[in-house]
Amino acid sequence: MRIILTAAAVLTLAVLPVAAPWLQFVLTLAIAKGFAALGVAVLLRAGLISIGHAMFFAASAYGVAFLAHAGINDLGLLLVLSVLVAALTGAIAGAFLVRYRAIFFAMLNLAVSMVFYALCAKLYGVTGGTDGMPVPIPAVFGVVFAEPVFKSVLFYLSLALMVLVGLAVQRYLDSPLGHALSAVHTNEIRLEYLGIPVWAVLLIAYVISAALAGLGGAISAFAIGRVVPDFAFWTASGHLVLIAVLGGIGGVPGAFIGALFLELLHSAAVTVTDAWNLIVGMALIIVIMFMPQGIYGLFARKEASSP
Amino acid sequence: MAFKNISLAFARCLSSLQPRFRFDWEWPQANLRVVVDGLAGALVIGVVAATPVAAQDKPNSVGLGVFTFTSGPAAAYGMPGKNAADLMIDEINAKGGIGGVPVAATFVDEAQGAQGVIAEYRRLAGDAKNQVMVAALSSATCLALAPIAEQLEVPTVGWNCDTHQLLMDGKSKYVFRPNGNTVPEFIAYAIYLLDRKPDVKTVAIINPDYAFGHDAAKIFTAALKALKPDIEVVAELYPKLGSPNYQTEISRLTTARPDVVFSNLWGADLENFVRQATPRGLFTSSQAVLALGETVLQRVPLPDGVIVGVLGDGWWMSPDAKANPETVKFAEAYKSRFGEYPVFPSIKMANALIYVKAAYEVAMQKNGGKWPTRAELAAAMKGSKVATLTGITQTRADNDGLVDQIVGVTVKTSAQPFPVIGDMVRYKGDSLMPLAGQDPLAWISTLKPEFAKSLPKPGSYKIGER
Repeated sequence: MRIILTAAAVLTLAVLPVAAPWLQFVLTLAIAKGFAALGVAVLLRAGLISIGHAMFFAASAYGVAFLAHAGINDLGLLLVLSVLVAALTGAIAGAFLVRYRAIFFAMLNLAVSMVFYALCAKLYGVTGGTDGMPVPIPAVFGVVFAEPVFKSVLFYLSLALMVLVGLAVQRYLDSPLGHALSAVHTNEIRLEYLGIPVWAVLLIAYVISAALAGLGGAISAFAIGRVVPDFAFWTASGHLVLIAVLGGIGGVPGAFIGALFLELLHSAAVTVTDAWNLIVGMALIIVIMFMPQGIYGLFARKEASSP
Repeated sequence: MAFKNISLAFARCLSSLQPRFRFDWEWPQANLRVVVDGLAGALVIGVVAATPVAAQDKPNSVGLGVFTFTSGPAAAYGMPGKNAADLMIDEINAKGGIGGVPVAATFVDEAQGAQGVIAEYRRLAGDAKNQVMVAALSSATCLALAPIAEQLEVPTVGWNCDTHQLLMDGKSKYVFRPNGNTVPEFIAYAIYLLDRKPDVKTVAIINPDYAFGHDAAKIFTAALKALKPDIEVVAELYPKLGSPNYQTEISRLTTARPDVVFSNLWGADLENFVRQATPRGLFTSSQAVLALGETVLQRVPLPDGVIVGVLGDGWWMSPDAKANPETVKFAEAYKSRFGEYPVFPSIKMANALIYVKAAYEVAMQKNGGKWPTRAELAAAMKGSKVATLTGITQTRADNDGLVDQIVGVTVKTSAQPFPVIGDMVRYKGDSLMPLAGQDPLAWISTLKPEFAKSLPKPGSYKIGER
């Protein structure tokens, strides 16, 4: 039943842009943010809240811009390399950040990400300051597409990646390495006594989550066509945590459901009124108050109750 | 140690995969039907929704996407623009709209960031009714939207978009800026300053810490150095956008004792800065140049003799504006509706809408009264010369606008309770612009002191003399 639901959801997503072409951009962005929120959700398993994941999102987006500037002009190569950039940044930052827990972890992530933001905004000559850097349209395996075609390619590629990466992350979370994360949350000392290196478990999780955020960042960079320091601002990080909590941290689909919900809600709210902030905020409060398990919790609970 | 731990953890992970490779998934027939039916249904909806509307029919309203800041700190600049758009659209509709069709604007808040703005742009562009976009205020938004405008082929009029980078490549077909850019805007201040205070030796700069502030500092300094090579910049300060407190910066500025303090702070930042700097005597010890000073004239008591301007010709009390009954009417209507006289962002917006209206009229004239397509509208904008509320905006071959630049100093008059601009000069738009395709900064460095001599002098732009 779960597979059917997922397949139906993915197919619906795939045909939605045919109905409303402008939705394609919103959905691409939602999937991109879903990747990043998934990264946050992985760490949330271990009870670690990162209010700084926008840094990896932005690191990879800037990676795309710089690599494209340096002459690399292939979608696949750019994607892989920029995700590696994010993973590397994650490995460096994670090496010392995963030693901390709770509020210290959250705050240090915030601090590091804001240093990154300040660098992007202040290194005017390198990053273009607040005006950001352009991202040209790359070739796809040597084929150069016109803009609308490329955006469709990007959308369907992200959709495919969503399924593939989602399955991979599901697998990872179901592995001992993944289960160790919840164990860190419940009793870290016991884990050490069992001979499981907590630091390594967390570092791997941190690098994976940074890479996921990076994948989201790279897709956004291609979709938006411009990289700006705002990508790394703390509100963007907060946004990712929000998506993760909103969707439900129980499973992989939660992050994507949360991202889709928030992006579509945002799009709907801005069309109705200037006070779109108010509508988005109210909806979030309602979801958090009445669906403590997140939106995904609704599906998961239903499934659990049905035989 | 670390590597050992990581490899250990990996090994455990891999060994756990083995028993999981089993394929006993079920795929019941009935459920598959549901999926297929859903898919077919969605496709039908898609095909129906995607059927194009004929663009040549006269629509029942002219759709306009108008992009500005309606929330956040930048709304201090964005809301006067939105107010002006509301008022101008009402005025256009009161006169029968454009070609007999009423105008209906959809406002988009730029405070939602590049992602949200692009999503909204695409959504609005997807509706054939919205043939023109008036976008945008922030340079970052304009730079992000420009490639999309070209790709979607939607005429896009930058109502503010100061950055000189926007149209630099000269390839734009659909992006227009009937407006000055940072180059003429800030060169004008350098020339005016040197005319008024030829013996200036030291300059300090305090600009907001983002591209607009850095660009302005670069252009202003380059122009000063070219026109008077012995000028020294003694301090360059870039406080964060939206800072409430400028005491540290003011201390730096007062101890540096520069002859001139230049700033392109704006909105609440500028108000705060002026309020905090006045009691500390900054405006008496140094000649202040407030590039966006006109926007706060009605709000804070600026001392006399501060060099201010409007980044263009959009001052509602300029001699040209006073001579135009439309402008006088607009300013009074604005005052009675919003409680304040228009500031230059309002005029920029109003002028952008006049520009759009003119493009519709020219396009319809050219194609024999039929409702124009997007391409025809863009063609009508290209190379156009449009009379605005405060002067004339001319569109060059590279789609950049030529507008005059008004600079002056604050003076008190009996006519208004707030300071106004006196001792004005009006530089011709083309005199301060590099040629299309020329690198602006390279062009500025070629300027010679003689260049300024050929331009009009402070005080030459007076009421009654046009």
